[in-house]
Amino acid sequence: MPVTGKVMFQGVTSGAGKTTLTAALCRHLALQGREVVPFKAQNVSLNSFVTADGREIAIAQAYQAWACGLEPEADMNPVLVKPKGNGQCQIMLEGRPWRDLGPGEGGPEIIEGLRAHILEAFHRTALGRDAVVLEGMGSPVEMNLKERDVANMWLAKAVRSPVVLVADIEQGGAFAGLYGTYLLFDEEERDLLKGFIINRFRGDASILRTGIEELESRMEIPCLGVLPLVRFASPAEDSLSLSGGTGEKGEDDVRRFWMKELDRLLEGWEGAWNLDHILDLIDKV
Amino acid sequence: MTHPTEGAQDDSEGNYARHVAMLRAQMERGIVGGNRECPYFPCHHPDQDCTFCFCPLYPCGDPLLGEYVVSQRTGGQVWSCQQCLWVHRGDVAASLYALMPELGPEGLDQGTRERLKGELEGKHRRRAKAIMVLGATSGAGKSLMVAALCRALRNRGLTVAPFKSQNMSLNSVVTEQGEEIARIQELQARAAGTRPRGELNPILLKPKGGVTSQIIVEGRPYKDCTVQEYYSDFVRNEAPAIISRNLERLLRSNDVVVIEGAGSPAEINLRGRDVANMYVAKLAHADCLLVVNVERGGAFAYAVGTLALLDEEEKRLFKGVIINNMCPGGGSLGPALEIIHTLTGVPMIGEVPHVPDLYLPMEDSMDLDHREEGEGGTVIAVVRLPMISNFTDLDALALEEGVRVAYVRSPAELEGADAIVLPGTKNTVQDLLWLHRSGMAAAIKERAGKVPILGICGGYQMLGRTISDVRGLEGGAPSEVEGLGLLDAATVFDAYAKRTVQVTGSLAEGGGEVRGYEIHMGRTEGRSPPLFLLAPDGRGEGAWDRERKVMGTYLHGAFDLPAFRRLFLSQAGRKDVVPGPSGDHDAQVEASLDRLAFEVEGHLDLDALLGGDARDG
Repeated sequence: MPVTGKVMFQGVTSGAGKTTLTAALCRHLALQGREVVPFKAQNVSLNSFVTADGREIAIAQAYQAWACGLEPEADMNPVLVKPKGNGQCQIMLEGRPWRDLGPGEGGPEIIEGLRAHILEAFHRTALGRDAVVLEGMGSPVEMNLKERDVANMWLAKAVRSPVVLVADIEQGGAFAGLYGTYLLFDEEERDLLKGFIINRFRGDASILRTGIEELESRMEIPCLGVLPLVRFASPAEDSLSLSGGTGEKGEDDVRRFWMKELDRLLEGWEGAWNLDHILDLIDKV
Repeated sequence: MTHPTEGAQDDSEGNYARHVAMLRAQMERGIVGGNRECPYFPCHHPDQDCTFCFCPLYPCGDPLLGEYVVSQRTGGQVWSCQQCLWVHRGDVAASLYALMPELGPEGLDQGTRERLKGELEGKHRRRAKAIMVLGATSGAGKSLMVAALCRALRNRGLTVAPFKSQNMSLNSVVTEQGEEIARIQELQARAAGTRPRGELNPILLKPKGGVTSQIIVEGRPYKDCTVQEYYSDFVRNEAPAIISRNLERLLRSNDVVVIEGAGSPAEINLRGRDVANMYVAKLAHADCLLVVNVERGGAFAYAVGTLALLDEEEKRLFKGVIINNMCPGGGSLGPALEIIHTLTGVPMIGEVPHVPDLYLPMEDSMDLDHREEGEGGTVIAVVRLPMISNFTDLDALALEEGVRVAYVRSPAELEGADAIVLPGTKNTVQDLLWLHRSGMAAAIKERAGKVPILGICGGYQMLGRTISDVRGLEGGAPSEVEGLGLLDAATVFDAYAKRTVQVTGSLAEGGGEVRGYEIHMGRTEGRSPPLFLLAPDGRGEGAWDRERKVMGTYLHGAFDLPAFRRLFLSQAGRKDVVPGPSGDHDAQVEASLDRLAFEVEGHLDLDALLGGDARDG
């Protein structure tokens, strides 16, 4: 049986563009006729979707599934955390309510349990597919949360996935965010890190050249893209990034509209990212 | 009236006698503040005090205040204090006036002058301490941190001014003198209790679209140039002199200057061309603070990465890292923060909470509480519940021409809306209590029958008469909460069970396909006719009270297909009113600045920042 290829997008921050990059790469691979599937171990979101078999997952993974030409499945997002306020969260496991957790209640045994579920879901979802595009969660170097990581470097190590780090440059500080993330990785994590992408750039990318070269030499990995800011519509993942659509109006089904918008994004990114290099990472299993 | 200090560099006997006479005249005139009748006013800056036009301490010989220059007349050394602003500070002038002894015919002898100067030094810094706030990113909270520090320091009786060498902003204001500065520097000046003026923000870039910006220098339009020209010419050849003369003047006329950086100081592609960050820090010998926004995550990475990309000399200026916008009442990032100190050598000095509901003009339109989607005349007001969820439901509304979706949270913002949506929530009971508390509930009820009101999921539950949480599944303790009573319906939470199901169906009034999904705990029963009929058996779903124009449904994604979208919009007329908050602007701004300063001071050691009694840095 052929081995499934993998690549994981991790972000310097929330909202760096992981979800969109994952959807865009899924769409690109699917349009090439490859069987690809999205995977996000854990999502913290109050925007969810219900699958055909009545399971609740984050709408972002449903969106990525549609980008792959697939029906959304619970295994694509095995853990969904829904904050209820006052530090209380409802934990959805495999799309079903599992239990509520209060502040400080996520002890080691709970984390171990979640990790086991996540790996099972990952292997089920990867089975027989050409590639899995994994999406990390938030920043992978929240040092206060590292022991409880179930979605970033813990997972990348567990499934031996190459990692590409994404930074949003719109707010500035992208070089610092990328380099700081790298400095906080341990040796094994740095080995898995294969490249970085600068997202939402406006203007002439040549102005970044000297900075990118300095970073490439400090981190010893290549820059795999400077993606231009393209305003496009997609389902909003959380209340920090309410989406803003500027595309063609008049489409009847919002899901078809979102896919058209994703195709428009891929066009806008044409030539701005090194897709060949990313495909090499996936195929080098 | 002539300028009394003309010829001040002439220290001949006759001239000195003339100065003694002027000194006596000054004392008789009393404290005058800014002498606007003087034809030379303002000879230093608009905020200057003119009580001691001629300084009684002259010549003081203090190298922090003046210098010896070669006299053009005699060729000898003469004391020049032309750049000294010390006695032109209102607080210094008032102290000196109070300390001045009776004047004899000889004026003040050297011993008296030295004694007076010593007493003044005990009260006022001769050169300001500079504190600089730099951000790991834009939007880290630098601007408000500067405003907070300005207000907190002013509250301690210090003379404070804000400074930002270069700002790029389209939000500018015009000062009394007709100078244009960024709106945020005006706010900071207000926080500091000093007059807004061009020198506080001597270079203002106003993007004109494309790559061209207008450069405003010291409040006056200077020229237009491209980004390229700005960096290759202006920054290299003109900016240094502009920045240093304004900064120097502020350092000479205040106790503390609180400087704001721009963007990140670690944009390594701009090395040597950034005049807004470390360049100014070095010029002012400022104690630097790095502010890192925690809201989007990656705070550890930004703190470590920013400092690691600076050179050693720059890094040494940093006295602390501040983690900003922590969740109010939430926990600390804990001992893990120590790694920032370990890796960079710069200590953590505070975790500052987000201060909610400030009434302050914001620099950027990042304020999601008042954000709007789409363009057009039909305004759909979506109530931004604290625990709002599944607001992707509303995305599809913006597919229609002429529809604007606005997220609102105050009753005033509902005015002018053509329809109101109460969206889903992760906590119906708590958000319902918020609706009552915030006055939104009353405002929504008042609109019933006038504009269509739709509740989705949790919003639907809220529209009913009551919500009974008999087992405390939502709010913690068992409770029964009164709904808005706009639908004759009641909701009961009686089991830790969640309905998650995809559904299809049609509009109950006939025609039009509907698709959606339900995600909810609790059951709702009522007497209004249903909104939808669901497949396969034609079960009724939701409620529609046509008289009150109130609708409710559990279906998320109900707007995804056009039928319901158009039914709902057909109920809403067109309007072109933009809703906005009202009230006494100035009083609200002042109260907000005080609250901000109080919160920030509560989470930072300001005394340590001021560096004890190292008065002249």
